[in-house]
Amino acid sequence: MKRGIARYSYINDHRASLDGKTIATARGEGCFLTTLYRALKIDYPRFFKMDNLSKLGFLASELILEGDERRYSRGEEVAIICFNRGSSLESDTRYQATIQEQEDYFPSPSLFVYTLPNIVAAEIAIRNKIHGETAFYLQEHFDARALFERVSEAFEDAGTRAVLAAWIESFDAREAFMTRVEEYDGEPPLFPFSGDTIVKLLNKSRNG
Amino acid sequence: MDELIVNLKKEIIEVLNLEEVKPEDIADDAPLFGEGLGLDSIDALELIVLMEKNYGIKLTDPSQGRELFKSTRVMADYIRENRKK
Amino acid sequence: MIAWIGDNIISSLGFTTGENYQAVLAGRSGTRLREYAGLPESFMASLIDRERLESECAGIPAGKESPLEKAAILSATRAATEAGIDLSSPRVQFFFSSTKGNVALLDGLAPGSRREEIYPWHSARIVSRHFGNPNEPVVISNACISGASAQVAALRALEAGRCDHAAVIGAEMLSRFIVSGFQCLKALSPETCRPFDANRTGLNLGEAAATVIYKRASQGDRGIMLARGVTRNDANHISGPSRTGEGCFLALKATLDGIDPGEIAFVNAHGTATPYNDRMEAIALARAGLNNVPVNSLKGYFGHALGAAGVLESIISTRALMEKWVIASKGFETREEEYPLNVTKQGARTGKPYCVKMLSGFGGCNAVLLFKRVDDETGDREI
Repeated sequence: MKRGIARYSYINDHRASLDGKTIATARGEGCFLTTLYRALKIDYPRFFKMDNLSKLGFLASELILEGDERRYSRGEEVAIICFNRGSSLESDTRYQATIQEQEDYFPSPSLFVYTLPNIVAAEIAIRNKIHGETAFYLQEHFDARALFERVSEAFEDAGTRAVLAAWIESFDAREAFMTRVEEYDGEPPLFPFSGDTIVKLLNKSRNG
Repeated sequence: MDELIVNLKKEIIEVLNLEEVKPEDIADDAPLFGEGLGLDSIDALELIVLMEKNYGIKLTDPSQGRELFKSTRVMADYIRENRKK
Repeated sequence: MIAWIGDNIISSLGFTTGENYQAVLAGRSGTRLREYAGLPESFMASLIDRERLESECAGIPAGKESPLEKAAILSATRAATEAGIDLSSPRVQFFFSSTKGNVALLDGLAPGSRREEIYPWHSARIVSRHFGNPNEPVVISNACISGASAQVAALRALEAGRCDHAAVIGAEMLSRFIVSGFQCLKALSPETCRPFDANRTGLNLGEAAATVIYKRASQGDRGIMLARGVTRNDANHISGPSRTGEGCFLALKATLDGIDPGEIAFVNAHGTATPYNDRMEAIALARAGLNNVPVNSLKGYFGHALGAAGVLESIISTRALMEKWVIASKGFETREEEYPLNVTKQGARTGKPYCVKMLSGFGGCNAVLLFKRVDDETGDREI
């Protein structure tokens, strides 16, 4: 079975795009992720409980899965494989602040539960009822070859038919790049799945 | 208008990140858990932190929360009797 | 299928696999009441003896490694010696699993400042470069199933021919960060934990560095094989276990497709001893038709070593599978009537060839590994 990229989305701190087309840009003050959430007219109050890493991944998946009629019914068929550099260090730092001073020591449970990077995969799984493999890998820099290898290997699981593959960074930068990789017969959905294609699509997305 | 209840609602909205809820949306006797606000077990633990941080009330047994977090009025009554801050 | 060729455990119970395994057979627990400076409450946990770690690391050139990295290097060194492989080879791939790595370094760090040593890929690289390995390590951060995810990644990479040997390392050290977090979740037990007991009171945390060395299996290999590994998500809650055991059940079902439960020597469950986790596993095991298979948990011996647990517990379980023994589930006394399982109260002999390792973690993730003992042709195969 061949594999192709069906859709790809990109979000940074001021712009969001789907399949290379700009969907929203930051205007004025306020957090762009909240602006984007409102622009997409999503009704999911849990969004406001998420940390930035989860918000980024969640919105990137909303862009990719919008309008997909099988969105909520694929169960074990879909795997979510994520990568980044900074792990959950943004939330780690915020949680650490709640325990830093002995006179002001109030460890926060709702911050602590976001001190694991794979929580973003859980947020996407919960929203879309995805029961497939979820995994988070850490690397110094975006590495298309490693992404290609880990995602290809996720298809070794006999249940996997599609992978949401993403680079999601919220500590050293704010950026999410997600692709939906699908198995197919015949013509590729949009692009063939390869490390080179991933690099091209990311660069195109980054340059707007 | 019970000032403590109004403040409490504002504090709950803030610590639980209930971005789209306004204090007036929460009735004084409405249950905080089970329906409406969509709160879960982590929110209950966060309310235990709120009680200690803002009012000096230390709850050691998380199951106490079930009684206490019935409504903002129940919480406010408990705070009035037990607050240390 | 990949073949197990070496291993090591560094934990509160010892610095070799043999020392750890003997301690488990003797029924010893590494959990003790502990205190940290700057932590208001004491806690029960199983910690690596830092003085012994320093002395056992003598002879290994020491740079600026953190205790986590030292323990990982020591563990990998010993596992590779047993396996008889050279970790500097470009045909060796490192797989590194930890949930919080060097997060302890955040303590006292000025807000907004950065230290490269905090990034988990940095720790992994310190370890692989210590051995002169040229490959970028694969670093997995998948909450408490990380140690299983790392073995699944190794299985796939070896089967795809990307490497000839895989060094899978799980390492976790405790810190004020981790302990305070579990305390505020009200998840910790004030006593040595009691997995699957009706009166269980929560979990104990633990430290460990553990290593397994694998190679691609070939005709005639004997011993322990990792046959399959599957992970599935609950899609239910970011931190709470599923009430239906959904992801865990799906992972069991996919992993054990075509395997007769009567051939399974035992299931080594996650068994953290929190009320909800153990109930979730009991539900998943019953749904998968495994409620009569002997079940144990190792958390009463080692505590919960988070990102290292999957590697550590796989090593102890496969050692038991080789020895044809089902380890007693420490701390278990009273059966939970509502969710009955065949929990192993006293160690017992078994000749069956499979064991199943289960893990579940925050983020709704669940993993199941299937190990198989392939006996020597002259051995007493009792199946």
